[in-house]
Amino acid sequence: MSKNIDLEQEGIEVKKSACYFCHQNCGVLAYVKDGKVLDIEGDPEFPTNQGGLCCRGNIALDHLDHPARINYPLKRVGKRGEGKWEQIPWDQAIQEIGVKISKIRDEFGAEAVATAGGTQRTDDWARRRFMNQFGSPNGFHNSHLCWIPTFMVETAIYGWCPFELDMGNSRCLVLWGQNPGAAGMPEMHHISALQAKGMKVIVIDPRFSETAAKADLWLPLRPGSDLALALAWINVIIYDGLFDQEFVANSCEGFGELADHVEEFTPEWAAPLTWLTPEQIREGAYMYAMNKPGNIQWGTSVDQIGKPAGSTMHARAILRAITGNLDVPGADLLTGPSPDFITDEEMEANDQLSELQKTKQIGSERFKLVTWPGYSRIAEETRKVWGKAPTAEWMCEAHPPSVFRAILTEKPYPVKALLVNATNPINSYGETKLVMEALQAVDFMVTCDYWMTPTASLSDYVLPVAGALERPTITSTYGCSDFLLASQRAIQPMYERRNDYNFWRDLGMAVGQKDQWPWETVEDAYYHRIAPLGYDVSSYDEFVDRYRFHFPEREYSKYERQGFATPSGKVELYSTVLKDLGYPPLPPYIGPTENEVDHPVLAKEFPLVLTTGGGFMPYHHSEHFQIKDLRFLKHEPYMDINPATAAELSIEEGDWVWIETKRGRIKQKANLTQGIHPRVVYTQRGWWYPEREINMPELGGCLESNANILTSSADEDCDPYSGAWANRGLLCKVYKVEASDLKGEN
Amino acid sequence: MARYAMVIDTRRCIGCHSCTVACKVHNELPVDMIYNSVTTVGPTGIYPDLHMYNVPTLCMHCANAPCVDACPTGASQKREDGVVFIEDKKCVGCQACIMACPYGARVQNHATGAAQKCDFCKDRLDVGKKPHCVNTCHQKARIFGDLDDETSEVYKLVHGENSARLLGELNTEPYVFYIY
Amino acid sequence: MKNKHEGWGWMLAVDFFFAGMGGGMLVIAGIVELFIGEGRISLVGNLLGPVFMCIGCIFLVFELGRPFQSWRVFMNPKAILTVGAWIMSIAIVVGLAYASFGLNPAWFGMEKLFWQDWNGVRKVLSVVCLVTGLVVATYPGVLLSRHKCRPFWVGPGMITLFLLSSLVTGVAAQFLSGLVLPPVAVPGVMQALPALAGGLLFFQLIIWIGYIWVKRTGGTEAEAASAQRWIDGDISASFKSIVLLLGTLVPLILLLQSSLVAQAVGALLVLVGGVSIRCLVVRAGSDRTWLPGEQKYKNRLPFGDEAFLKAWNK
Repeated sequence: MSKNIDLEQEGIEVKKSACYFCHQNCGVLAYVKDGKVLDIEGDPEFPTNQGGLCCRGNIALDHLDHPARINYPLKRVGKRGEGKWEQIPWDQAIQEIGVKISKIRDEFGAEAVATAGGTQRTDDWARRRFMNQFGSPNGFHNSHLCWIPTFMVETAIYGWCPFELDMGNSRCLVLWGQNPGAAGMPEMHHISALQAKGMKVIVIDPRFSETAAKADLWLPLRPGSDLALALAWINVIIYDGLFDQEFVANSCEGFGELADHVEEFTPEWAAPLTWLTPEQIREGAYMYAMNKPGNIQWGTSVDQIGKPAGSTMHARAILRAITGNLDVPGADLLTGPSPDFITDEEMEANDQLSELQKTKQIGSERFKLVTWPGYSRIAEETRKVWGKAPTAEWMCEAHPPSVFRAILTEKPYPVKALLVNATNPINSYGETKLVMEALQAVDFMVTCDYWMTPTASLSDYVLPVAGALERPTITSTYGCSDFLLASQRAIQPMYERRNDYNFWRDLGMAVGQKDQWPWETVEDAYYHRIAPLGYDVSSYDEFVDRYRFHFPEREYSKYERQGFATPSGKVELYSTVLKDLGYPPLPPYIGPTENEVDHPVLAKEFPLVLTTGGGFMPYHHSEHFQIKDLRFLKHEPYMDINPATAAELSIEEGDWVWIETKRGRIKQKANLTQGIHPRVVYTQRGWWYPEREINMPELGGCLESNANILTSSADEDCDPYSGAWANRGLLCKVYKVEASDLKGEN
Repeated sequence: MARYAMVIDTRRCIGCHSCTVACKVHNELPVDMIYNSVTTVGPTGIYPDLHMYNVPTLCMHCANAPCVDACPTGASQKREDGVVFIEDKKCVGCQACIMACPYGARVQNHATGAAQKCDFCKDRLDVGKKPHCVNTCHQKARIFGDLDDETSEVYKLVHGENSARLLGELNTEPYVFYIY
Repeated sequence: MKNKHEGWGWMLAVDFFFAGMGGGMLVIAGIVELFIGEGRISLVGNLLGPVFMCIGCIFLVFELGRPFQSWRVFMNPKAILTVGAWIMSIAIVVGLAYASFGLNPAWFGMEKLFWQDWNGVRKVLSVVCLVTGLVVATYPGVLLSRHKCRPFWVGPGMITLFLLSSLVTGVAAQFLSGLVLPPVAVPGVMQALPALAGGLLFFQLIIWIGYIWVKRTGGTEAEAASAQRWIDGDISASFKSIVLLLGTLVPLILLLQSSLVAQAVGALLVLVGGVSIRCLVVRAGSDRTWLPGEQKYKNRLPFGDEAFLKAWNK
């Protein structure tokens, strides 16, 4: 794009845009002329990426006008999944969808319309705003797998969630199930720089990941056994006297109960459960507790271990508290929501949803923490201290697997329509078989996407959405940070693509929400949000041009002034909020979702432990398999297996193998590596093959190598607190694919 | 006259392949051509005592470049600032340079028949910019500069500890250095 | 098409074969002319020498990525390829000029061809034939042996092997040429050629075994690995069955027979062996001394026939 392009030529405008291929939203400079983007590069002045761009960031122009992009609204004319479409105008599509969902509302109630989202790649306060006014509590994302349960458990314990790490002053960083070396480049850059200055890095990960390779201490635990490790660390820190006595005495509630509770959870107790040695466990606890201030960085893995997830989050939160690593310089900071700009939550119009409709939220009677019961309780506390509540979109959602089951069983009531936005649930939600059945069974489905995904191909309407470079972006950590980073669009959306904001706004207007959407464009809405900050700007674009970020002055130890946003105003090691919701006030030990101790019969048939793992370059979730420059680097799926195990199974490097759990099997190629325990296997996630036929029955090969075939979203495997399902710590077996099963490989 | 060099800090590189992609995209390479691959060594050792590192590669811009000597047409050349490049119109695609390069840095463009390779983004150097692979690196693992300038970061790194060249025994004198 | 290996392919090997054989034929022509006598070998052989080199050139040109630019290879006198191009060109011209002394004027309806009396010129040309033929016969070995990063090629052994192979194929080709059109002068050297070829073949066999043994045991790890490909790796089957058995042992036996037919078949098999060994040598050069991690990285890249590569074209 740049080799033959003169960026010095007249008429080129430099737009301060953002990468949109993961939610780091790295700063991008776009060189634009006559409404066309000629070139892009990382913005050297952007605070996070400082000019860097990962693989995905670099392909923005490929993505922008890729031949497979959806550019016009499509209406199904053949059978579902047959691939016969009629191109129709946007307004017609909106009108028809509006009529259809209104009809469903009239017949079955607003709650019969559900929406599915992906990660934070959208303006989902707008979706919430639409759903609240429409009257349905049944929006959801796969955010259950990504920070949201952590946020809510931690907020229950100490009144907000510390996602902002004051790493510059830190002496020890624990990366708990996180691999920024493959998934968070801007963060990894800072880690490397600080590590060179003496900061200790502990990586807790079953895999010898990119980040583990750089760590001072690598703790390769059995997948899903994080809870045993956390409890043993608490035990060591308390009984070896490593805790912060002053902070515990002044700011924590329930230390005595906690000490009694963890007495039995010694490193010797945890060793056989975690497959670590007691010495490794102690070394980690000492390293974290003795190198203060320190951080524990959140990673998605604990959100994805299923049954023990909530208790693990609680135990991990306790670790921060008893070491005094909360909101002090160098530790994990509780920023609270921004008091200055209008937050996502304030844009959501949550007061428009009636109490009756809230009670109908699917899954909320069993999984209370990230649904209305828990959210209301926690928001009540945060409002007292911070004056604001966490974002409800994400933090307060229907339980996705239960919605899929409701579609199939009509229990607790029928769900007839699914509006899918920025996600391909067949690949990204747990237990694919269930998801597939639900998507095929639902009466009416609309998908907004960049691509004709397997999910989109099963839809009634597919609408083209604007992507990177075509949309402005405000980045504020799911609406929960007190700072924001702002980026502008480089160009208006190409073809008939529109922002997801406009989809919800247009649809809202079509179903009678005319007065509720005063902002015609995203920029209008964003300007409304930043206006209270008081910058001398008259538009959002001007704010981006002149300021781009808003970082309020950092205040440490805010709890000394205002207390923690909990009922007692202190850190509640013994959590009354959890207790009120019917959960254990102290973290009980719960074994991994499927394990050899509690499920010996299952372990006999499925002797290996599976982790379906985190992000890997150059992909993001189930995205980018169409981008040839990326696909060329990793064109086939690989699973990791220890050479000793492989030898026992007669598997050689590069062989196609089946990985099978009791829910199904997939095939990936074997990567023989010492970087994994002999009893553990790791599969890459997200895989489908967009180069194949996308229509039924092939559906882009989405069932062939898709790790979610293996995962479990059964109620009994979900975290009882949040309903987060189980992607890791499951039992599986591995065996070679016979030659006769190898057709269609490439 | 500058003498350009690149230092690659393997302690920082995490093997994300961003440099590979940035190079492909900005140099408009066909999908099957790579100028600067990033290989991974390891994990070596036995679980759980392991070691792993990544080796980003590119044209080494050797002072004693076997490719320039091998080229029968004079298409492969070396500038005074040390940049080794190919003058495309003179290349006949004999692949002598591809065979001669000990670093696998040269690839044949199957569409044009000519050999191609990294030229340190010389057009960017000429207007005071750095190569794309350097700019895109989140980890700042690629450091670029003038080795004749004793105050430059590359000079300090090259003359510091733990600096090495790849296949030094071949006397090609690469101007890409590795910190390990 | 699986095209994972960058670099030279079979057409270059065929060029090496024809050029080397042609060079070998010129060497023999030169030696016989200078030390044994005029007209003792077949005119067809003298003509075919330079013609084979031309055929080699054609293959070389088509090995190029841009065949129509091939004239540029004469441009860099410091490059060994340029030197090779010049010497082969001279050898072709001189070889044809020398051969023209053996043309029968009657074929052109003349009593004599005017230059055929220029004996001094004929001798000078034969010297040039001998020298350039020797260079052309040896040249591929020199070219390959200079590749420091190609473990199977590097070192002087390759030079000997190519010279030997060029000579043995040259002798065989001269012998076959003599069968097509016997030499004008009697006694020719024809009877001696099968034995000469047999001797060279035997010598070549010993050198080959020695070469692989030395590479396997004496050099670097990369050299050992490259030799292993010949012993039990991907090259081993072709090497053993085609080169050693069909191209060496069988012709060795046949050439020592008294039957002319057996000798002719033997000579033909020598040529098969000659072209095969060159293909294998060129293929063996696809191995570089790999950089750390390079092989695993390359092995996981697409071959070039994957479906995604063909999808989504604008």
